[in-house]
Amino acid sequence: MSPGLRRLYAPRRVKVEVDTEGVPLAVEGVAVGAVREEWLVEDRWWTLRPMWRHYFELVLVDGRDVTVFRDGRGRWYRQQA
Amino acid sequence: MSDVPYVELHAHSAFSFLDGASTPLELAAAAAERDYPAFALTDHDGVWGSMEFAHACRGFGVRSITGAELTMVVGPGVLSRGRDPRPRELRARTRTPTPPAGEHVHLTLLVEDATGYRNLCRLLTEAHAHTRDNTGRSAQPPWVTLELVEEHSEGLVCLSGCAGEGAVAGAWERGEPEVGAAMAKRLLGAFGRDRFRIELQRPYWRHDRARNRWLTGLAERLGVPCVATGNVHSHARSRAHLQDALVAVRLRTTLEASEPQRRGNSSSALASPAAMATRFAEHPEAVAETVRLAERLRFDLTEQLDYRYPGSHDPGTDRELAKVCRAKLYERYSGSWLAEAGRRLEEELAVIRHLDLSGFFILHRDLLELAREVAVEVRGPDSARSVLPPGRGRGSSVSSIVCYLTGLSHIDPVESDLFAGRFLNDEVTKMPDIDLDFPRDIREKLIPRVHERYGADRSALVAAFPTYRPRGAVRDLGKALALPPEEIDRVAKVVGFHERSGEIERDVVAAIGAERAGAHGWRALIDLCPEAMGLPRNASQHSGGMVISTRPLVDICPVVPTAMEGRQIVQWDKDSCADAGFLKIDLLGLGMLSAVERCVEEVGRTRGERLDLSRIPLDDPETFESIRAAETTGVFQIESRAQMQMLPRTRPENLDDLTVQVALVRPGPIQGGAVHPYIERRKRLREDPRFEIEYEHPLLEPVLKDTLGTIVYQEQVIEVAMHLAGFSSSQAEGLRRAMSRKRSAVELEKHHADFVAGATARGVPEATAERIWEQIQGFSGFGFPKAHSAAFGLLAYQSAWLRVHRAPEFLCALLNEQPMGFYPPDALVHEAQRRGVRLAGPDANRSRVECHVEAPSHRRTAAPRRRDENRSMSAEIGPSPEEARGGLLVRVGLGYVKGVRKEEMEGLVAQRERDGPYEGIADLASRSGAGRDGLERLAWAGALDDLVLDAPRIDRRYRGSSRGASSGGRRAALWEAGIAGTGVRHEEGTQMALPLEVPGAPSLQPLGDWGKAIADYRSTGMTLGEHPMALMRPSLGPELRRSADLERIEDGAIVEVAGMVVARQRPETAKGIVFMLLEDERGTVNLIVPASVYERHRAVVRASPLVRAKGRLERREGTTNVLVSEVRELEWQEPPPSEGRERQGAAAAGGEPSLPRSRRPRRRPSPPAIARTHARRRLRERAVAELRAVAPTGHSWGRRG
Repeated sequence: MSPGLRRLYAPRRVKVEVDTEGVPLAVEGVAVGAVREEWLVEDRWWTLRPMWRHYFELVLVDGRDVTVFRDGRGRWYRQQA
Repeated sequence: MSDVPYVELHAHSAFSFLDGASTPLELAAAAAERDYPAFALTDHDGVWGSMEFAHACRGFGVRSITGAELTMVVGPGVLSRGRDPRPRELRARTRTPTPPAGEHVHLTLLVEDATGYRNLCRLLTEAHAHTRDNTGRSAQPPWVTLELVEEHSEGLVCLSGCAGEGAVAGAWERGEPEVGAAMAKRLLGAFGRDRFRIELQRPYWRHDRARNRWLTGLAERLGVPCVATGNVHSHARSRAHLQDALVAVRLRTTLEASEPQRRGNSSSALASPAAMATRFAEHPEAVAETVRLAERLRFDLTEQLDYRYPGSHDPGTDRELAKVCRAKLYERYSGSWLAEAGRRLEEELAVIRHLDLSGFFILHRDLLELAREVAVEVRGPDSARSVLPPGRGRGSSVSSIVCYLTGLSHIDPVESDLFAGRFLNDEVTKMPDIDLDFPRDIREKLIPRVHERYGADRSALVAAFPTYRPRGAVRDLGKALALPPEEIDRVAKVVGFHERSGEIERDVVAAIGAERAGAHGWRALIDLCPEAMGLPRNASQHSGGMVISTRPLVDICPVVPTAMEGRQIVQWDKDSCADAGFLKIDLLGLGMLSAVERCVEEVGRTRGERLDLSRIPLDDPETFESIRAAETTGVFQIESRAQMQMLPRTRPENLDDLTVQVALVRPGPIQGGAVHPYIERRKRLREDPRFEIEYEHPLLEPVLKDTLGTIVYQEQVIEVAMHLAGFSSSQAEGLRRAMSRKRSAVELEKHHADFVAGATARGVPEATAERIWEQIQGFSGFGFPKAHSAAFGLLAYQSAWLRVHRAPEFLCALLNEQPMGFYPPDALVHEAQRRGVRLAGPDANRSRVECHVEAPSHRRTAAPRRRDENRSMSAEIGPSPEEARGGLLVRVGLGYVKGVRKEEMEGLVAQRERDGPYEGIADLASRSGAGRDGLERLAWAGALDDLVLDAPRIDRRYRGSSRGASSGGRRAALWEAGIAGTGVRHEEGTQMALPLEVPGAPSLQPLGDWGKAIADYRSTGMTLGEHPMALMRPSLGPELRRSADLERIEDGAIVEVAGMVVARQRPETAKGIVFMLLEDERGTVNLIVPASVYERHRAVVRASPLVRAKGRLERREGTTNVLVSEVRELEWQEPPPSEGRERQGAAAAGGEPSLPRSRRPRRRPSPPAIARTHARRRLRERAVAELRAVAPTGHSWGRRG
């Protein structure tokens, strides 16, 4: 990437606690109030960088609406959607 | 069913054509495995796979539900307009032929009862009715209007459509919830609360929950239940990637570019009922509704079709059929034959009455009568062809005396001792097959006439589904993966036709190297190709199967138009039609039958002779001599390389031998081990007529006597089972079926046990019974019934007779009927030239559009200008027996020139015949209406050579040389064609150019033989001049043998040969061996490439048009082969300077003067001489590379090599 340019909405690693089904219970220590949406992206499987992301749009108990996803290696990221 | 939480009501198979990645069988098996009690198949706009699915489900104990996902076009104003109040007829008349502007949306329709099925068929028929309107070969997407759906709602349950493009949910996705709500209201009005449901899906997309919340709210407001569906697109997750790739293929783009249209994840793979219930945990009522709805959807496609064919329930047909047959019986038989024929006839009539099939035979006879009328129209009443029957029977029906007496077969089953049990017996459960072969031109006219006779809504062709094979898969999927096109092409060329999945990786490595093959895109291709194998890619029409119904077909199966105007197909293939109990009539086009008819016509034209093929002697010594010598190029059925290898060993002497011969080289007899014993026993019998055949058991003698104790025909399997093991006729037929198309190991094994038990009960030793069973089992590949072989054997003989006695006309007919047969036109003409048939290239003043035979008088009068008496005509190879017998000459037609417009050539010929020959190229350009492109193509092909204005302008160095004049003429013709004013095409016609004289060409260097050969191949796909191998010969060295030399070389010698590849064959039965046929300037060479050599040189063996091979010469009983140890691409090798130059002379000069060269003492070459040598070598190398690019691709068969 050229100097002076910066990626927008780049995913950031985040700590997420999940239940036995893999559904988030808390994000960065803040409890999840509700799951608004849940979706799955499996793409670019034919390339060197296949994409597998399980997304959750969450309403946290502090009122914030956040979108997080788990990648194929089980790591969690937060992404501004 | 109440124990199961969920039933799938929305699933796509591969019959959604590139939007589904599993076969119906795979879906049915997976549904059974996951304990679904019922399952709905809802392919896009069709029921193409529904019959197969219904039968597969029945086998697995799953109840199939029939349905479809229908595309509907909804214009902006449609929903606000409300229902059209006009009467239905009026609405139908004003239906728009092009889709109204608006959205293409989907509805899921499920069949509840027979009325619903009929309505679904009508809707699907309407959806496709306009898909071929003015579109040429590519179909437009199907669609119906909402009004039409409203008119056909009865008996159907409507789900509101899928998440993305559904009629209701799709509107919400597009941000038009009010449109979705209005649509739901309209659909509710049409289907009522009982039969309309809001469809919820959970494809794991971004707004699933919001969409489903809105949909459930809408359902509550409307007072209808929601129903959950999975929108399944594959039977397993492992196919999800293929599903993605197929979407890209469908959209003709790449995976990258098709991202918005793809499903986005693998959740459309079939999940278990429990998993689906969990997926819809927030909508338990919608899940429960799937089960309640499925309980109601009881329509059974396998039992409720109510199909009948004309005459099927007419009580008078028994009497009518018997009357027709008995009348003919006394015409055709007398004496002792009459008694036997009468007995057989009464037996067959009794079986036919028992099976209630008299109407079936009467219908076929009516069709034949119709064909007779069409034949008279097509051939003309006075044509030489008019004495020929309109068509011929083939297949097992030829064994039936009823078929013989009703004209459906031309073979006397009594005289030929044909066994009818395979065709007709008391216990047949499916409609028998009667296949009729017609010349192509008669068949083309007959099909629309059948529609006219029985009604366009009551007759249609049967569908066929081309499935993915390795080559197509590599091309399609490679493109989707955005792999480099030239690499895809390279891989596709080396991939075999019947490749096993594991071999694709090896092919990729062979074509582009292991390193490239390891790259990600190629890895994906290697994984995807095996998954795609066998999936239907699109719908097409069967080669000739037609169904006819008394009820409108559109009530039984949707009917859709095909790319060919005036033709329509049902949405089922031949297997589904058979499962549906449809009467399928096969009106097949047989190229050889057309060729034979053309030949008869040409003979009538050139010799004034009315040739009746039914009266030619069937024991002509010359004909049988040519057959025994394997001089059978172009002859029906016995022209293949394998047949030619066999003929000198079996040495057929009569039609019966030929009948065996036709059946012998098939996978069944080959795998059953019949071939070698048959050949050996024939040889022993020739040597000693008292030789006694040793049968495996005396009980076999009566059934295997004709084939010297071997199983060659299909019905011999039946007869052996009946005679040796006491099988009933239907039990034996069951065995034959178990061995054929969809054979099952379990079923075959059951017959095995019965066979051995039955045989031992008749006193056959168990070991003998087992040995015979092995032969039967080996036969399970494809084999011919004797009746079929007899029909084909006769045609083989007739074509051989024509080849021997009417050679120019026969060759001409073959050229005009291409593509057909084993050899490309180039090989056909070379072989004909070698036996003295004269040919001449296309000529604007002599050729017709098609090839024709010129009698000497034609040649004298056809061309007005004899400016170029020495012109070689490229090809007129000198005196021959044919010349002595009348000097007939085959003139290549202008239509053979690639890329010319047929109508332009027709115009050119018509104008010439009307106003006389063309005086020059300017005259041709101004009168014929041909465009510049057409003229240039004709010039390249040498068709304008004689019209060149000013021959002396050809460089004087080339005058006097026939080659120079001809070749210079071609370049001068190109020059003149380039500057002559030509006709300009408009929509209304062609505006002719003024007949202005064009200036003559400047002094031009003529095309050399290389240039001419390349121009010939590029323009017509064949050369009549110097064979390319003759041009190559100077570079090949003395160690390289010509084909003709091989006869003089001793068996076992190591030889090296080279040639153009005419055919390559990799039979399934040959354990990886590839057979190649090379052609050089003297003849052909058979190569046997062992599997190990093939593996080392796959790319060369499979794709190279010019090869050289080294190996051991093997000579056996009149056949010569080279067992190859090395094979490589044929390259130009510059010979040593002095010697080479002398050897190559000017004949090989690619555009160089053919000046005499004086002998000089050998000395060190000067730098300019070295430079000239290098330049010449580069020229030759380029010429060979160009030849390789334009040389005809040899035909490939079997596991293509």
